[in-house]
Amino acid sequence: MLLGKHFRKYYLKYAAYFLVGIAVLIYVDWVQLDIPKYVGGIIDTLKAVTPDEEMIRSSILSIAILAITITIGRFLWRYTIFGASRRIEFQLRNTMFAHATKLSQSFYSQEKVGGLMTHFINDLEAVRMIFGPGILMLIDGVVFGAFALYRMASLNVRMTLYAAIPMVILTVVMVIIRKRISLMFKKRQEAFERLSDFTQENFSGITVIKAFVREMKEFMFFQKKNEDLYDSNIKFVKYIVWVNIGVGIALNIVILMIIFFGSYMVLNVESTGFTAGQLTEYLSYFFALIWPTMALSQFMQIFGQAKASAVRIEKFLDSEIEVKDAEGALHIDDLKGRIQVKNLTFQYPDGDRPVLKNVSFEIKQGEMVGILGRTGSGKSSLVDLLLRIYNLEENQVFIDGNDIMKLSIESVRNAMGYVPQDNFLFSDTITANIGFSFNELDEEKIKESAKLADVYDNVMEFKEQFNTILGERGVTVSGGQKQRISIARALAKNPEILILDDSVSAVDTKTEEAIIKNLYRIRKGKTTIFIAHRISTVKKMDKIILLNQGEVSAIGSHAELMKTSPLYQDMVKRQTLENLVQGGANHEGL
Amino acid sequence: MKDFKDNTRERSDKDVLRRLIGYVLPYKKQFLLIVVLMFLTLGIQLLPPLLIGLTIDIVSDETLARSEQIRYLVWMSIGFLGALIVGNYIAFIQNMMLQKVGQKTVVTLRNDVFNHIEHLSIGQINQVPVGKLVTRVTNDTNTISEMYTSVAVNLIRNVLYLVAILVVLFILNYRITIWLIMVLPLVLLATYLFRKFSRASYRRVRANVSEVNAFLSENLSGVKITQIFNQEKKKRNEFRTHSKKLRDSYLQEILVFGIYRPIVYLISMIGVIIVLYVGYQEVMLTAFTAGLLFTYYTYVGDFFEPIQQIAEQFNTLQNAFASAEKIFDVLDTKPAIEDAEDAIELNEFTGSIEFKDVWFSYIPDEWVLKGISFKVNPGDTVAFVGATGSGKTTILGLIVRNYEIQKGQILIDGIDIQKIKRSSLRRHIGQMLQDVFLFSGTINDNITLKDESISPLEVKSASEYVGANTFIEKLPDSYDHVVLERGNNFSSGQRQLISFARALVYKPSLMILDEATANIDSETEELIQESMEKMMNISTMLIVAHRLSTIQHSDKIIVMQKGEIKEEGSHQALLKLKGLYYNLYQLQYDEKESAPAI
Repeated sequence: MLLGKHFRKYYLKYAAYFLVGIAVLIYVDWVQLDIPKYVGGIIDTLKAVTPDEEMIRSSILSIAILAITITIGRFLWRYTIFGASRRIEFQLRNTMFAHATKLSQSFYSQEKVGGLMTHFINDLEAVRMIFGPGILMLIDGVVFGAFALYRMASLNVRMTLYAAIPMVILTVVMVIIRKRISLMFKKRQEAFERLSDFTQENFSGITVIKAFVREMKEFMFFQKKNEDLYDSNIKFVKYIVWVNIGVGIALNIVILMIIFFGSYMVLNVESTGFTAGQLTEYLSYFFALIWPTMALSQFMQIFGQAKASAVRIEKFLDSEIEVKDAEGALHIDDLKGRIQVKNLTFQYPDGDRPVLKNVSFEIKQGEMVGILGRTGSGKSSLVDLLLRIYNLEENQVFIDGNDIMKLSIESVRNAMGYVPQDNFLFSDTITANIGFSFNELDEEKIKESAKLADVYDNVMEFKEQFNTILGERGVTVSGGQKQRISIARALAKNPEILILDDSVSAVDTKTEEAIIKNLYRIRKGKTTIFIAHRISTVKKMDKIILLNQGEVSAIGSHAELMKTSPLYQDMVKRQTLENLVQGGANHEGL
Repeated sequence: MKDFKDNTRERSDKDVLRRLIGYVLPYKKQFLLIVVLMFLTLGIQLLPPLLIGLTIDIVSDETLARSEQIRYLVWMSIGFLGALIVGNYIAFIQNMMLQKVGQKTVVTLRNDVFNHIEHLSIGQINQVPVGKLVTRVTNDTNTISEMYTSVAVNLIRNVLYLVAILVVLFILNYRITIWLIMVLPLVLLATYLFRKFSRASYRRVRANVSEVNAFLSENLSGVKITQIFNQEKKKRNEFRTHSKKLRDSYLQEILVFGIYRPIVYLISMIGVIIVLYVGYQEVMLTAFTAGLLFTYYTYVGDFFEPIQQIAEQFNTLQNAFASAEKIFDVLDTKPAIEDAEDAIELNEFTGSIEFKDVWFSYIPDEWVLKGISFKVNPGDTVAFVGATGSGKTTILGLIVRNYEIQKGQILIDGIDIQKIKRSSLRRHIGQMLQDVFLFSGTINDNITLKDESISPLEVKSASEYVGANTFIEKLPDSYDHVVLERGNNFSSGQRQLISFARALVYKPSLMILDEATANIDSETEELIQESMEKMMNISTMLIVAHRLSTIQHSDKIIVMQKGEIKEEGSHQALLKLKGLYYNLYQLQYDEKESAPAI
């Protein structure tokens, strides 16, 4: 019906809710209009020379029964229709998140998290509105309006025609006015954003402002923007007030007309058969007609917004998952750590030149390998490819002799342990972070991993120890601690291949040495790859692969490279000097 | 400190309310007038049911002559139309007055918040994320504006409406009204319960919304880790749990409203039934008429609406209070650095600077500068070199009093800078900072910082002096070329040159320059070199240098390590020492010779 293919299924799924809700709503809409009839009857009875009290009492009783029915009905439709809208929102939100977990990095490198969040917050809400209040407004606008008109017409057709015409015009005018209001609202929003942007920029550049003593002047500019916002607010509000007053006057004039002509008919009751009671009944129906008029125009407005939002959500849900298993991908549970890279050339999907050029090397199972290079040498890209974050061409990277592109992504990543450069940790307990790879948390294993990563003592110093929650709402830990927790997270997995991407840069050399020593001990027989830019990190490793501008510059042990590679020699020299200048190699807290 | 909360005490709702009312007090006369006008407009609103009742009585009164009835109808219509026009005119005036007062109040409040933040010290501002600061100025004040112009107003209006309707009901028939009042406790009870439940459910919803959003923003940024660890399923389940909690709290909210609204309806129908029942007996026994009964019936239908509205708007009120609290936290934060009472205005400044055993730390006990002493003579150029974190940039920040030192003394022309007004101190110092911040606007705006007293000619000659004109004049709009947000359309070298010009047009007695570390293409680098050498002749100049090549001609080079001065002297003298400076020099020399890009 409304919206697109991703949403249609929910109408079916929640058909029961909607059917019950809508049926009850329509029923309530109908019987609600019985009350004026009874009241009109009472008025007429009272006008009689000898009122029939029995009839009045039974009318009041009927009203009481109706009131109870309507109360229950109102509760029912609220719960079913609004409830269904929240359930749909829930499902949609989950579907969207599930899709988000599958999308590849090339998607995330183009989309900002803030923008994605907008889909989850604003767009989802707009769609939810159409399923909940939207349906209510549509049904009330059409059905309730029709009921009221029908009842008015059955009292007096001609007067109803006259009364209906202004109401139809009003509905159309309101649709136009609402569009205008959205437009003005947008303008107001723009003034608000200008103020907001100005403030943002001012606070970001506060150093410059203070340096040149521009605070007063900037405040004057702010005042100007603030006044502009005031003006556009007032302009907006003025319009709204006008509209409200205009609508009020229009409605009141129609009411007056009804009173006037209605009364005239009551005066000629003999020829028209229109009684005073019927006039009150008629007026009550007209009062009832006001809400559908408003509801219908409101529906048009939220429907417009929901449609735009639905398109954005669909676009997101339809965005392609680029990195996925090849057809008939091989699933191997016990991949070992032999890695061959053959003539690997790689360019990022949105890049303009290759970041890796003709790279070839081999890492045997159980080797401890350092990959060394300056910023921009292609180290991290190489890691991304080993982890299968991006697609690459076939026959370039092999694990255990299997082309990585023909293996299932799950089996590749199951074999890998990874310590990222940015040490991303979740706002969760330390236990949950270290045990991230597991569904069941083995506390012993987690503690053991923390010890190996040399972070155990730090953790025990926290009040909540391993139950300490990290992140913004919990404890803020230092960069070095973050790195070590992130190392523990990878170690807990005890993977066949462990990749540490520049992972000890924020810890001091002593801790670094301790961690590396532990690694030598526990990683026997398993492959470990160390990405580094510090020589001290990789000095003792079995093999060092030196990358330079996307190409392999040299491969060999420290001793060999010292002899053969001028680039390596230069790096060693420079780092020694750097240490001297810094006055020791204390990196933490600089 | 991630927020201003820490600096201030807990405050009660009463405190917040008192201060919020304080902002409205200047407009109390207008407010009084608004309330009076509001009463009048309410009168108009109450008119139609009364007229309908009267009309019904008159047209169905068989004792009246036909002509009289028609005359009544005509006069009634004219009167009604008149009242409609007058009433709505008043309503318009009243509404606009109210909006203006409310919005003006917020304008004042917003100005106050901005101005207050603007005058906090750099250290205080930098501790709080910019986004939060902006929220205080924009969104929080907006919430309050909403409170003033819609919630508070509706509250007043609804209360007045309630009072007005009760008065009219009493006048029409006090017996029915007394009966009707008996229903009030029912509504109050329902509303009390609703308030309690809705507040709780509203809080749950808010809490769950922010939990889901926090989870989302974290996991959308960290999706790479989730994928690498093959934990997508786990994350999906976690999200589902959060999402379900949110859904359930929404369902609860629906339940709360779904019960309250129909219950209020039911209570109002009880009122209607009472009115009909008591009313019909009144009609039978007294002078009360059927028409008035209808009037009564219509009023009663509207009687409970204000109460319901008040109850439902309470959460918005709560929100506004929360925002107000945050704003007052900001306003109550005292600037960390304030001028001394007897601070002097610095009119002239020769450019001599002396540091006497200066100790400084950002965080207590973590000393960044440990007993720094040096002297700079007027007109000299002094360069600071050293590794990252050696404290050289900090020295520049202290001279302009971005921070207050803990021990020692900084003297300018022999006067302790703590005795000089900060604004007058900074006016004499041209600062060229490391990350050149450009504002969106034009190049001209960025050089003058929108100081209209600086002529385009001055801008041009300053730009020519520093060599910025070469690239500026190549741009399509030259000095009026648009600078995008944060100056993203300029290279860091170009930005640096603009910042030179910016400092020069203010004719400083002292220039301090924190050289950019970023890569600069060789052509621009040459320009920068040239202009730096020229600038050294203008006034005293302090440079934090990253490229040793730029500072070889300076009068003195101070070599720092871990917050201490290790070496001091001219370029040649320091090289002869074969110490730290020599190492630094070699490092850079090597980089130029053999190192590939970056």
